[in-house]
Amino acid sequence: MALKAYDKTKHAVRYWLLRRLPTCKQTVKVISESMERKLSLRERITVKLHLWICLWCVWYLENMELMRDTIRTKASQEPNLDSSSLPPLSAEARERMKLRLSQRND
Amino acid sequence: MSEPQRTLQSQSPDFSAWVDLHGDYLYKYAIFRLRDGSAAEDCVQETFLAALKAYRGFEGRGSERTWLVGILKHKVTDHFRRVTREAPIGETEGEEFEHNEFFTRTDEWSNHWNADYAPSEWHATPSELVERSDFWKVLNDCLSPLPGRTASAFTLREVDGLTSEQICEALNITVSNLWVMLHRARLHLRNCLEINWFTKETTS
Repeated sequence: MALKAYDKTKHAVRYWLLRRLPTCKQTVKVISESMERKLSLRERITVKLHLWICLWCVWYLENMELMRDTIRTKASQEPNLDSSSLPPLSAEARERMKLRLSQRND
Repeated sequence: MSEPQRTLQSQSPDFSAWVDLHGDYLYKYAIFRLRDGSAAEDCVQETFLAALKAYRGFEGRGSERTWLVGILKHKVTDHFRRVTREAPIGETEGEEFEHNEFFTRTDEWSNHWNADYAPSEWHATPSELVERSDFWKVLNDCLSPLPGRTASAFTLREVDGLTSEQICEALNITVSNLWVMLHRARLHLRNCLEINWFTKETTS
């Protein structure tokens, strides 16, 4: 019984908060900007509160972090580009460049 | 480490050998950033020609490849500068990637996530993803429908780790343009990766 009342109150508090906080659409924009600049105190508090009640935006933030960390890790391994799946230089471009380089070689 | 030593020994090396030694590497480096084969070829060729002129200054100090990549970086940035000078940014560029449908709901919670597009938890770590070459293919396919400048801004920021100021200068945009572009790119990429990678991974 007590648990039910607690759940009800929790739900009401969340509902009340979510009504007053920035929407998910606004929050994900601020999450992206947080990767570019320092947020203001007000922004930090509203994002924190939003994340406290919205699991979808929590996952959005986690997904952003995984994307960034993965790309950075990949970029730091750039010496391995040779074995990557990117296309190589075409035979035609290769010949053209060799020709240009050998002409200037004299 | 496996750098060929021949250029150290001879005063006038065979420059055309660079194409076989470094051509693919430089091309991959360029195309990863430019996503345009002919622009990438141009940048690589300009790099070789600039290197040829500057070779006396280099004189085999350090790794030849690192030196060439340094030149290529400038050529890629020059390319962005040239392209963006020719085409100033339009107000509506990339507007379709605002993805309003992600936040369209019929109930009282409009502008909150529509459950059909809402994020889910991704069970992966950077170290396992970097090993999957098919992941990089999906990532590239997801980037390609974005407007050129938006995709470039994202690549310069996340791959090269340039600062906002450097990107704005190279792409001829304001900081608020840049933040909007990065946000659209991230919103679009996240959804695209979820559909084409993370959902498939868990069901397969």
